[in-house]
Amino acid sequence: MRFYAIAVYLFLYVPIGIIVLFSFNAGNHASELRGLSVQWYAKALSNPFVGDAFTTSLIVAFTVAILSSLMGTAAALALQRLTGKMRILFDGLIYVSVMIPGIVIGIATLVALVTVFDFLNPLLASIWPAGFEAPKLHMGYASVIAAHTLFTMSLVIIMVRARIAGMDRALIEASMDLYATPWRTFYQVTLPQIYPAILAGFLLSFTFSFDDFIISFFVAGPNTTLPVYIFASIRRGITPEVNAIGTMVLLGSLVLLMTAQYLMREKRKDK
Amino acid sequence: MKEPSKSNRWISALLLAPTGLWFAFMLVLPLIVILVFSFGERAAVGGYAGGFTFEHYANLGARLKAFTNTLTYAPLGTLLSLLVAYPLAYYLALKVNRRYKLMLLVLVIVPFWTSLLIRTYAWIYILGGRGIPNILDWIGFEGVRLINTPGAVLLGIVYGYLPLMVFPIYVSLEKLNKSLLEASSDLGASPFKTFRQVTLPLSMPGVTTGCMLVFILLMGEFLIPAFLGGGKVYFIGNALVDLFLQSRNWPFGSAISVTLVVIMLVTVSLYMRMTMRNNKTGVDESLM
Repeated sequence: MRFYAIAVYLFLYVPIGIIVLFSFNAGNHASELRGLSVQWYAKALSNPFVGDAFTTSLIVAFTVAILSSLMGTAAALALQRLTGKMRILFDGLIYVSVMIPGIVIGIATLVALVTVFDFLNPLLASIWPAGFEAPKLHMGYASVIAAHTLFTMSLVIIMVRARIAGMDRALIEASMDLYATPWRTFYQVTLPQIYPAILAGFLLSFTFSFDDFIISFFVAGPNTTLPVYIFASIRRGITPEVNAIGTMVLLGSLVLLMTAQYLMREKRKDK
Repeated sequence: MKEPSKSNRWISALLLAPTGLWFAFMLVLPLIVILVFSFGERAAVGGYAGGFTFEHYANLGARLKAFTNTLTYAPLGTLLSLLVAYPLAYYLALKVNRRYKLMLLVLVIVPFWTSLLIRTYAWIYILGGRGIPNILDWIGFEGVRLINTPGAVLLGIVYGYLPLMVFPIYVSLEKLNKSLLEASSDLGASPFKTFRQVTLPLSMPGVTTGCMLVFILLMGEFLIPAFLGGGKVYFIGNALVDLFLQSRNWPFGSAISVTLVVIMLVTVSLYMRMTMRNNKTGVDESLM
């Protein structure tokens, strides 16, 4: 049993270790280790395409995380009081948005937005005052952010709702009985209890968005995100530079995940 | 509880409005658009032209291989992941020292939340010409091909989705009342019998949830077959990328997307109904 577990852990981590090891390759060929060096890190960090893609990914992931934790939490709070048909409708939409494959979301968003833009752009141009250049709607930051947020928002709703369900309702009633305003009850009683879930939701949304390839692949337009860039590089041929970028991405996600884990654990201790 | 007052209702509506708008514009509208497109004509330069035809649905057979591959390897991959994950979850939940439990569990989950792209890339390395085949070459097995085979794709699947399978099974085994296991062995049941009659049935909600999560993700998989199947073992996802980005046949691609969504809705609903009847607990909602 124990050996089996060790074997599975090796299975999970050896490939990651190999990527890291080869990122320090001193040789030029991707799969032949010739001494160790950090040259590929230097190369990756000075590559302007990598820098641009990284910045794009960071902006997208950060916006997605903020939007989804705000909207998701608001929706989760409203949904707990909602009953009847609206409740069923929202539950259904959350279910579908989590279940539907990312590739279908990517395709459907691409097709829908291109169609809407093709319709709106001439319209905008025609009503725009003469002499000024009319804005042209196109795929880019907004479309990736919107498409990622669809999934991550539902993720936050599910996480926060689970937290609310586990919350002690007596505290809220006590606060109400003691004549706290609803706002104050929320701020002083509800929020402190659900905030670890919101924060964890924020971090998971960030990681999801930062690591997502398939949705961005379809809807990012000219704003290439880091995973899309990495995919294209791998298609061109594997080089130790990809390993260096990959190692840095893995390290970044690791730090975020550990933070999320730490926050969740703090909460458990409080209980 | 008091009846919700009118102002309370307004607040609820306000809190829900952004989410509602998001669902309307980013989920419902796009799905309607691809549904409409799937009945349309293909424009001469690619893209879409208006019309109403069933020809794209009639033509689905042209991508039959993608469908049969997906419907073979997605369930098979799910099953393999389950077989690998269950013993590990069992070990973590029931055998391991409490002190290391959380750390070991985190170590299983962490890979899932890191880039699947990069983790799959690792296997191109390992299975590719200069990886394992090179070593095999060296010890005398020449010309072994590992990458771009069904086996490579299945390996990539198990590697990619193992964490997602371990976690729910672990949770349901962890919740299981340990005195039941003691009672069973006190009553003279063999360890195997205890496992088959007590542990396994009680862990079914976790198994059901894990299988569903993995299966859902596999149905839309693109990366793993793209990297490890090398155009020989391709899924519906790969056919879709080809149709939308290379040959720009939007109506046909839309018809395939709609079919994929319908297949998923049908299989997942059937699966949920079946498991709910069998173990009365169905999917463990607390895990979702």
